[in-house]
Amino acid sequence: MSLKNYILTRILLAVPMIIILLAFIFLILRIIPGDPVLAMLGGKAPKEVIEQKRHELGLDKPLPIQFFDYFFGLFKGDFGKSTLTGRPVLDELKERFPATVELTLFAFVIAVLIGIFGGTEAAKRKDKLPDVLARFFAIFMYAIPIFWFGLMLQLLFGVMLRWLPVAGRISPAIQFEPITGLYIIDSLLRGNWKAFVDVVKHLIMPGTALGLVISSIFLRMVRNNMVLVLSKDFVKAAIARGIENKSVLYRHALKNALVPIMTVMGMQLALLLAGAVLTETTFSWPGLGSYLVLKIRYRDFPAIQGAVVFFAIIVVVISIFVDIINAIVDPRVRY
Amino acid sequence: MNEVKNKFISHHIGSLLKEIFGSGTGIITFIGAAILIFFVILAIFAPQIAPYDPTVRVSRSLKPPSDEFIFGTDNLGRDVLSRVIYGARIALTIAFIAVLIAAAIGIPLGLISGYIGGILDRIITLIMDAIYSFPGLILAIAIAAVLGPGILNIAISIAVVYAPTYYRVIRNQVASIKDELYVEAARAIGARNIVILLRYILPNVLPSVVVVLSMNLADAIMTEAGLSFLGLGIAPPTPDWGFDLSNGQRFVLSKAWWGLLYPGLAIITVVLGFSMFSEGVNEYLNPTIKEKR
Repeated sequence: MSLKNYILTRILLAVPMIIILLAFIFLILRIIPGDPVLAMLGGKAPKEVIEQKRHELGLDKPLPIQFFDYFFGLFKGDFGKSTLTGRPVLDELKERFPATVELTLFAFVIAVLIGIFGGTEAAKRKDKLPDVLARFFAIFMYAIPIFWFGLMLQLLFGVMLRWLPVAGRISPAIQFEPITGLYIIDSLLRGNWKAFVDVVKHLIMPGTALGLVISSIFLRMVRNNMVLVLSKDFVKAAIARGIENKSVLYRHALKNALVPIMTVMGMQLALLLAGAVLTETTFSWPGLGSYLVLKIRYRDFPAIQGAVVFFAIIVVVISIFVDIINAIVDPRVRY
Repeated sequence: MNEVKNKFISHHIGSLLKEIFGSGTGIITFIGAAILIFFVILAIFAPQIAPYDPTVRVSRSLKPPSDEFIFGTDNLGRDVLSRVIYGARIALTIAFIAVLIAAAIGIPLGLISGYIGGILDRIITLIMDAIYSFPGLILAIAIAAVLGPGILNIAISIAVVYAPTYYRVIRNQVASIKDELYVEAARAIGARNIVILLRYILPNVLPSVVVVLSMNLADAIMTEAGLSFLGLGIAPPTPDWGFDLSNGQRFVLSKAWWGLLYPGLAIITVVLGFSMFSEGVNEYLNPTIKEKR
């Protein structure tokens, strides 16, 4: 199959996936015990008002019609309106998204660096001290709830040592006009050095906590794949040709070990972009995850639905990208 | 369940432990079982073991650990030790109910889908794959938000996330054994489909169900802790590890490390216990579902 056909097939296959996910989310949020309108207006609203609100929201139509209305609304960028703020959900999501992207990318870079270097070193000295240490590290990171890890870091670095702020993205005292919404880039573009330092300080703790927890996944995958690749003949041949150790490891072996890992890394990125809910809540990080939690607290169902649908779209779109990149790198993937 | 990985925690930890302990799975299983029995005893006999009532103020707030209150007191002056002991009840109960519901959804669907095949199989698989690919915690959050607090509601929210795992395992196994000779023989002597499914096929896939069940418990514990940390668990003042940590930032700011440390250690210990135990179960039943990631 040519690359173009593969990409086309892959996109077409995603369509039923998206529809099913949307229908599923839609159904779940429609089985609300009690009436969303009652929840919105409170129990004491007069009957006519309730009826009118129902009609306004289209809730008096049959369920399938409601779903199609919603579905085609999404195509037009209509994610519904928040009952809490009255603003379009998509606008609110757009405002929050850069914070999540910033946190995610920071964490992802840390995770990938630890994963690749740690995994390679562990594989090189298989069953020796670095490998054993890596195992204990991974066990710890798997068994630890990330919010607890985050809180412990806050206690140590935020309150006891006073090195880093414990919450938020930027100190309220700092005057600063965002451009892209990614504060690190914005502060540099504005040439505001003080803001830049402040933003980085805020990012370090949540980013590192999240990065360390994910790194365990990458570390193990890199290590296991490297062990496998290092036993292959072409590696032995490279060593026999007298190629320097480091070069064999990082240029010859790693390149081959990384191909299968790329998929996992890509999917992990997608899952992270879909809101690192716990990390964001722990560090009061104003991203998509804490948006969802906030809206749940106020039972703002249109916003909850919008956020979850947004997550679903992110996951599906990124998984398409991951597969396409994979198909470019490794032609065997194209079915 | 940390955001990123709330599936197969046990499997990952188990394989790491096996590398560390070599082939000595026995010792891992033993330690795991000991941890679990310890926590089950805590849960059952909490009223006898806990020194104080976990829901009432027994001292001034945020008292550091002392002889009187070994784990200190929380921001409402309640005994942290008693809350950690009672917390085992909610965590274990919800985890067990959740995996049972997940199995109760996934197994019948897997049996039917694998046995009948065809278009029905395609459709169910597509739906299950869609759920599976979605971030588990977000899904659980959405369902929990709709259902509201309560043990059963939380268990259902968690179960929906894990049902596809059971479905996949069962469906694939059924699809591969439904053409075995003994099944065909049963069909030849005129056994009805339902009899074939329940008497001939189900017993053969049950061992892998047990393995998935035991592996799933650690995931369920993690997801439950996450949900209640977000305030979506059971209603306060019932003691719950995750919920007690949702006060976390208050403990952080007042340097009350004891309010954070112990509920967190309880979660970690139980997750490790389930992981170790399930590795043993996995080994013992020697299933055909080894290739999980």
